[in-house]
Amino acid sequence: MKITRRTFLKDAGLVVGILGLSQSAVPQVAEALELLASGRAPVLWLQGQACSGCSISLLNSESPSPADLLTRYLSLYFHHTLSAATGVAARKVLEQSIADERTVLVVEGSVPAGMPKACTLGDETFNELLIRAAKGAQAVVCVGACASFGGIPAAQGNPTGALDVPTFLQQAGIEKPVINLPGCPTHPAWSVGTILHLLRGSLPELDELHRPKAYYNELLHDQCPLFAKYQIQEFARLPGEDGCLFKLGCQGAITKADCSMRGWNGGVNWCVRTRGVCVGCARPEFARDRDYPFYRIHESATNGPRDKES
Amino acid sequence: MAKVIIDPVTRIEGHLRIDTEVSNQRIVNAWSKGEMFRGFEALLKGRDPFDSPVITQRICGVCPVSHAVASCKAVENSLGIAIPENARLMRNLILGSNYIASHLTHFYQLSALDFIQAEAILKYRGSNRSLRNLRTWVEQEVASKKILPAAPFLPHLKGDYPKDQAWNFRALQHYLESLDIRKDAHTMAALFGGKMPHTASMLAGGVTTRLTPDLVENFRVRLLRIRQFIDETYLPDVLQAAKLFKNYADIGSGNAIYLAYGVFDEKDGPFLPGGLLQDGQQRPLEPKKIAEQTFHSYYREGSPRHPYQGETLPDAEKDNAYSWIKAPRYAGMPCEVGPLARLMIAYKSGVAPVRKRVATLLAQLGWQERHLNSVLGRHATRALETSIIAERMELWLDQLTLANPTVGEIPSTTSGQGAGLTEAPRGALGHWLTVEQNKIDNYQCIVPSTWNFSPAGQEGEPGPVEAALIGTPVATGSQGLEAARVVRSFDPCIACAIH
Ligand code: SF4
Ligand code: SF4
Repeated sequence: MKITRRTFLKDAGLVVGILGLSQSAVPQVAEALELLASGRAPVLWLQGQACSGCSISLLNSESPSPADLLTRYLSLYFHHTLSAATGVAARKVLEQSIADERTVLVVEGSVPAGMPKACTLGDETFNELLIRAAKGAQAVVCVGACASFGGIPAAQGNPTGALDVPTFLQQAGIEKPVINLPGCPTHPAWSVGTILHLLRGSLPELDELHRPKAYYNELLHDQCPLFAKYQIQEFARLPGEDGCLFKLGCQGAITKADCSMRGWNGGVNWCVRTRGVCVGCARPEFARDRDYPFYRIHESATNGPRDKES
Repeated sequence: MAKVIIDPVTRIEGHLRIDTEVSNQRIVNAWSKGEMFRGFEALLKGRDPFDSPVITQRICGVCPVSHAVASCKAVENSLGIAIPENARLMRNLILGSNYIASHLTHFYQLSALDFIQAEAILKYRGSNRSLRNLRTWVEQEVASKKILPAAPFLPHLKGDYPKDQAWNFRALQHYLESLDIRKDAHTMAALFGGKMPHTASMLAGGVTTRLTPDLVENFRVRLLRIRQFIDETYLPDVLQAAKLFKNYADIGSGNAIYLAYGVFDEKDGPFLPGGLLQDGQQRPLEPKKIAEQTFHSYYREGSPRHPYQGETLPDAEKDNAYSWIKAPRYAGMPCEVGPLARLMIAYKSGVAPVRKRVATLLAQLGWQERHLNSVLGRHATRALETSIIAERMELWLDQLTLANPTVGEIPSTTSGQGAGLTEAPRGALGHWLTVEQNKIDNYQCIVPSTWNFSPAGQEGEPGPVEAALIGTPVATGSQGLEAARVVRSFDPCIACAIH
């Protein structure tokens, strides 16, 4: 059943009557009710070729806390890792969620386009299920590197012909608003922020790769605490050494994400602060090319890493 | 004979289907079917060996640290790299934090809903704030007339959920509270690991993180709070579940062939030792006896291969295959791996804290040793292990030496062969690697759920979970709840099992 503006106005009239407010409060109350209801627009979360890392990362959300997310903000109709429903009950829940046209579809993992039997659910391939679910959804959110850009399953060698979700849906002729939230995994602030934005009824501002500008607008290199070292060309040549990690393979200079500002896990740390290189997990080309190692340990440390566009 | 199929098995990691045949209210046949393949071993070929900890962590978002440890060790073993003390200790601490997060999530978020009557919340009249909020939310959900109120907590399969309301309330409250505790365990892992899931500091040769007093104390404060939750909430909840579901101490018994590789390296060997325990007899681990078969798996060929010779050639159309999981065997035998196997082996090896704590647990529950080999036994040993490891982590924290290095020297060796054997939260984990001229020539992983959820082998003998399902009593008209309880007690991770 589709809930219309008219329903909210009618309900608001009742509420105003019960509370003894003046009729002029009706539109305001209607809006509040609409927001409340839309804040609970159903979320259908599907996993394809995934490691569940983005789901686990979601549970690391700082604010709202995971408990608040589950019981106040999201109406998580189906989630493989969290749903009480299993077996026949889960199949039914899946069908009911697909039938609800207000559903926001969240997809974690890539699609085995070249080998559909590499991911199945029930007697259906994941590829078929995804198409059905996307057709009925109001928007599609791709969480993580795999869903957004193919990620590791689509790295060179790609034995299953793994594809990112937007390309797969496009090839299937499905046109829906799509949002990409790359990262391996996606930072919980990126996924929670985006889903809450959507549930409030509007699309966040996106860049040409469908990434929300709020999180992916700048190179993380520009805000890196080691940027000063980079400028004076003080580089670490081996793990453990002082200096900027650029010549060790750090991809901060070609990766757009706000890690260096936001930090991870409540802001206690992030890749470069712990003196690991940024492996570019938010880049479209993350892990793609086997000839570009994450750590440039074995080559003469004189050349900087490739400078492809992100 | 009635067929009961559970597909998908939810509240696990990944894509698993379980088929059972039921006769006279017992499961007489079972098939474990892994349903998602990515091909990590093929993707690793030709890459720089130092890439492997970054890549293999992405096999699993629930236990990435175990893969990082296994692949670092495999590279170090193949290229002859030694790591400093601090790196060994930090790995133990990051891995320990991952164990805590994984085990807590497994009990509360993944398993507990099989043992709770979630609807009971509507009857709650007490004063606990989070339970009152939960009740209000469920009431609103029901009143909203939406098609799936109170998802993801409802609906569930029909079955024998407890009528003990005090338990239902308490377990729901701890479901919510544990979410913050497991998150904090991830934060702890990130203090030394950079981020979680998928750490940034673990590389062959050591751990890049620089030790500072504030980092160590930040870790310590969180560990103390988490230990309190483990000992005062998690462990008591598991004991309470054991009292409410007494029959499940006799259900889900496996083949009692336990395998562990050993984990948490200390100066004189792993804190929890490896070995093979069969018929009560403990033997030392001999990794050369490990081989993988693919007779019923979607891969070309089938003959058993040691992982150094292992290959991964998918064949999605293969006749007789029913799973993407391979079938590892030790000297031809299917083995159970995981917290139960680990603690049984540590117990038989005489590891002091384990002996004492297992004896106490048995006394508390009035169990014989054989009861550990059951659905409840797996939950109980997992909880007990969490407590034992968390306690040990304080020792490792104290052994860190701030002024000393955390990364060792990286030699210029460019070829070699080596294995990285460790234990993931779900059991024995091995990575086997051959490097030629700085490129990975072959990479094979055998992961805990590969062991536990393997399909039948060459002789037709069932895999460990298949064997454990056989004999399970089920109610008339069961939709599979009993089987799901057995399956979940093994803590399936199918992204891991297949990779
Ligand atoms: S460490 Fe990486 S992100 Fe930071 S300044 Fe150097 S290259 Fe840029
Ligand atoms: S710093 Fe780089 S590798 Fe680390 S999370 Fe951010 S984008 Fe990914």
